[in-house]
Amino acid sequence: MSTAAVKAKEYKSGIKPIWCPGCGHFAVLAAITRALAYLELRKEEVALISGIGCSSRLPAYVDSYGFHGLHGRALPLATGLKVARPDLTVLVAGGDGDGFSIGGNHFLHACRRNIDLTYIAMDNRVYGMTKGQASPTTAPDWSHSKMTPHGTGVRRFQPAAIALAAGATFIARGYSGDPKELTRMLVDAIRHPGFSFLHVLSPCLTFRPEQRGWKEEVHAFTAEASDEPVAAARRLHADDGMGLGVVYTEQLPLWPPRHERTASLATLEKELLV
Amino acid sequence: MTGLLSGEISSVAEFLAHALEMEAESVERYRELAENMEVHNNSEVAVLFHRLAAEGDAHAEHVKRRAGMYKLPSIAPWDFKWTSPDAPESVAMGDVHYLMSRRQALELALHNEIRGQDFYTQVAESSLSAEVQCIAKEMAGEEGAHVTMLREWLAKEADKLQLPLADLDPPNMPE
Repeated sequence: MSTAAVKAKEYKSGIKPIWCPGCGHFAVLAAITRALAYLELRKEEVALISGIGCSSRLPAYVDSYGFHGLHGRALPLATGLKVARPDLTVLVAGGDGDGFSIGGNHFLHACRRNIDLTYIAMDNRVYGMTKGQASPTTAPDWSHSKMTPHGTGVRRFQPAAIALAAGATFIARGYSGDPKELTRMLVDAIRHPGFSFLHVLSPCLTFRPEQRGWKEEVHAFTAEASDEPVAAARRLHADDGMGLGVVYTEQLPLWPPRHERTASLATLEKELLV
Repeated sequence: MTGLLSGEISSVAEFLAHALEMEAESVERYRELAENMEVHNNSEVAVLFHRLAAEGDAHAEHVKRRAGMYKLPSIAPWDFKWTSPDAPESVAMGDVHYLMSRRQALELALHNEIRGQDFYTQVAESSLSAEVQCIAKEMAGEEGAHVTMLREWLAKEADKLQLPLADLDPPNMPE
């Protein structure tokens, strides 16, 4: 009797999540454990790297290798790990503040390098851990924070479009309220050879209670994923930010490229001697 | 009864794979919610969710024993034939709140048990296999007993004085 060789719940650590009841991140955690079970990856074959924020607590809740890093620095940490240990399946988890504000530059260059990582950005359009300030994906007129009583007045960061422009080779958007499809997307993202970006709409019901209504607003993309950047860009341009599905997938050479060694370690050491 | 089934379940092994997943997920979710309510100091609802998990354990164990006789198919998480995002008997994570009352939690549990019963009933009505029809009907009956139990718990709850839960240091400060 078996429905899967490895059970999803075996990937959960004994640490109890302290996310607020109703938080979308629970569904992302469930999707990750289900995807790992489906792919039959052993715990020691997986590393989960994060920055700072509510969603960045995720590595503690998964029984695999994990590193809870510095704010916005999950992607460079994960890049270093993947270069040193290419055999590991490296997942990166974080939120919209961590990934698109302080970590924004790392996001661009991780997309550009096309290193074989899966980046799961849980977007609730608010800084939750610091009690509800506007993030880069918050609407410019959102005024429910003392920090921005008239809204930020700044246009929203467009994660999927920016990932496409920066060179990510797999771009999808999921929703925590649809864990079945989210799991499928995550499996596709992990299998994709190259940088896969999974933008997850994950409501924060504590600081953005109106996001309970997202289940009425999300909709599937009508077209299949494209391997044409221009077609994918057109689709994202026409999208209201609530479209779900894989937008773009293309196979390009991975970073780092393999080169012939041009000098021995001993030669290099000799050159550096003073 | 809303359509909870996306296609015919044609063999007992396939049916039991669905039942096992549905019961196990429901128990796991109740336990997760109970632990989460403990973290957020809603002990009344935490106790209730723990109790519901224990009730579910018994049913899940029953399904597991039954499934032991079969070689169950391996089904991808997105290929289970329920139309709901989660398994029909699982509480949707977005439907809870740390200040929810026991009554609200019981109403949610009742809603999900009814969906579980409906799912089994729809399997029984749509499957062409007489064996599947028989076992699905039987399990719909077992879910029916849970529905009755929860209705009784809810009736008792209605007699109790319900004070709204309050948080003296709320996390949200909408200006």
